Amino acid sequence: MIKRVRFAVAAGALLACAIDLAAAPPVVLVIAADASNFVLAAGGTIAKMAEAGSPVYVIRVTNDEKDSWGLTAEETALRSRAETEAAARALGVKEVIPLGYRAAELADVSFSGIRDRLIFYIRHYKPGVMFIPNPYTEYDRVLDRYYTGAAAEDAFRAAALENFQLAHADVELGPHLTPELYYYAQPVDPRRKEPESTATFVPQPRSVDIAGTLQKKIAAASALKTVNESTARRLKARLDATERRLSLLDAIDESSIRRLAEVHVRGLGTTEEFRYAGIEFRIPRKYR
Amino acid sequence: MRTAITYRAILFAWGVAAFGADTILLGKLPKGKVVMVMQPHHDDHTTDYGMGGLIARFVDEGYEAYYVRASNDEKDGSHGYARNDMINLRESEEATRILGMKKVISLNWRNDYMGPIPLDELRAQLILLIRKYRPDVILGHNPWEHYQKNPDHRNVARAMAEAWWMAGYENVHPEHMKLGLKPHQASYLYLKARLDWGLGHTPNLAIELNESQVRRKQQAYQTHRNVYANPASARAVKSALARENLTVPEFEGLDDQAAAVRMEEWHMDWISRVRGKEAGVKYAEDYYFVDEFDHLPGLKAYLKENVRPK
Ligand SMILES: [Zn+2]
Repeated sequence: MIKRVRFAVAAGALLACAIDLAAAPPVVLVIAADASNFVLAAGGTIAKMAEAGSPVYVIRVTNDEKDSWGLTAEETALRSRAETEAAARALGVKEVIPLGYRAAELADVSFSGIRDRLIFYIRHYKPGVMFIPNPYTEYDRVLDRYYTGAAAEDAFRAAALENFQLAHADVELGPHLTPELYYYAQPVDPRRKEPESTATFVPQPRSVDIAGTLQKKIAAASALKTVNESTARRLKARLDATERRLSLLDAIDESSIRRLAEVHVRGLGTTEEFRYAGIEFRIPRKYR
Repeated sequence: MRTAITYRAILFAWGVAAFGADTILLGKLPKGKVVMVMQPHHDDHTTDYGMGGLIARFVDEGYEAYYVRASNDEKDGSHGYARNDMINLRESEEATRILGMKKVISLNWRNDYMGPIPLDELRAQLILLIRKYRPDVILGHNPWEHYQKNPDHRNVARAMAEAWWMAGYENVHPEHMKLGLKPHQASYLYLKARLDWGLGHTPNLAIELNESQVRRKQQAYQTHRNVYANPASARAVKSALARENLTVPEFEGLDDQAAAVRMEEWHMDWISRVRGKEAGVKYAEDYYFVDEFDHLPGLKAYLKENVRPK
């Protein structure tokens, strides 16, 4: 009985929180491993939330230093930072917070180290919605997204628990439970649309129509000039090596790179696919 | 009355019942010159869930093939760590030679202790080898496999999952360029995993094998005598059947060692037939195939439509 009452209180608090959220657009916190993934996988949805009045913050975990063509790692990191900010602006994001981990070197970085930095920002911004890379996505070859997603998923959980990061209490960073969680990934996993199971506690597939913000997504993707040039040149190198051609890339210049980025975004379609865990995710079916 | 049964018939009947009859698309091999197999252990090139036949087919179609053994295999066998390492390496060299491979490159990480290793260091070694041998194709364990308990399989697969494409990036280990090596990216991946270990590995491609490729696969498998084809396994089967008054006519005149070899060969033949039946051919192996532009999901359809031969 006592358990049941306590549970009702907790569920009530969550629902109150939901009602509160209905009144003011929630803060949105996007955790991103790299510059391009959040734009390509979730950019339209993020722009939609920003248009609806949500303040959006992006935490970019790595510095993207490896993905360029003919630039040093240092130069790449510098450009990527500015370009990520430009991309985020195009989506209506208020601020990009770089954590500065070296790209493609997360495997040997402390998992809890990343998690604890994310906990800090979750408690600071108190988001109503979080976007995290889906660590359960299969066949995404950029494992930074896996490591970031795993740390972010744990940060989402631990930020709500008072016994994590005790020093935070002294600077008035209280525990924070984010009511809505979107797991994002580009559509590389052939089984991404399958429900995980019928169980209530498993995040389920959710599609968001982004036709209204597609232009912003294209503008954001186009701002990522360094990674776009890298993609275009690598693609052309591969085609050249195998005696093939793509007429769009006969000459690689700013306009063909931009065009390829636009084709890329359009090719992803006007729907973004997530795994979604909302408020009801936390309330077992029998109590609803 | 003693009843004679065919061991193969039992295996085959079980296999058909266990794996159903869904058809998987048959694939051709991509054009290329070099294939590298990146695996933790001496024997991972040929198991019931893959590779030996595909490796033989790559060789038949003109590929040079290299085997990277990441661990030292000290735990496989009953001769003590150091001797196990040496025996397993020797058998691996012999077995991969049967498949037509050119070389075994042993990285000698400690067997079954690859969970907590610095993964970037292993990846750097794989990247160095990719830049040296310049493979078009890489074969390995599926890093997204579910229920993989062996840390060596999990981590070598993870290192490979990044090494195969990162080797093409100039800013990844630029020190390699001091040797005159150039960035090089492999273009295709064939991933394998046990098919009875959950949803983490659902093959999307079957590769047809011919008779000779299956024979080489059988031979490569039973060459690993330190871990397979143990006479005791034949003895155990014979005595279990004897209790039921059954015999295996194919074992007649064979000692336990020869019978054990025969059993391992049937095992490879059987699984190749099961996969073949699923694909509508006599023999096959199944893989999760990662194509050259799968990492660009928004561009795939566009490229398919617009890329032309020069
Ligand atoms: Zn193994």
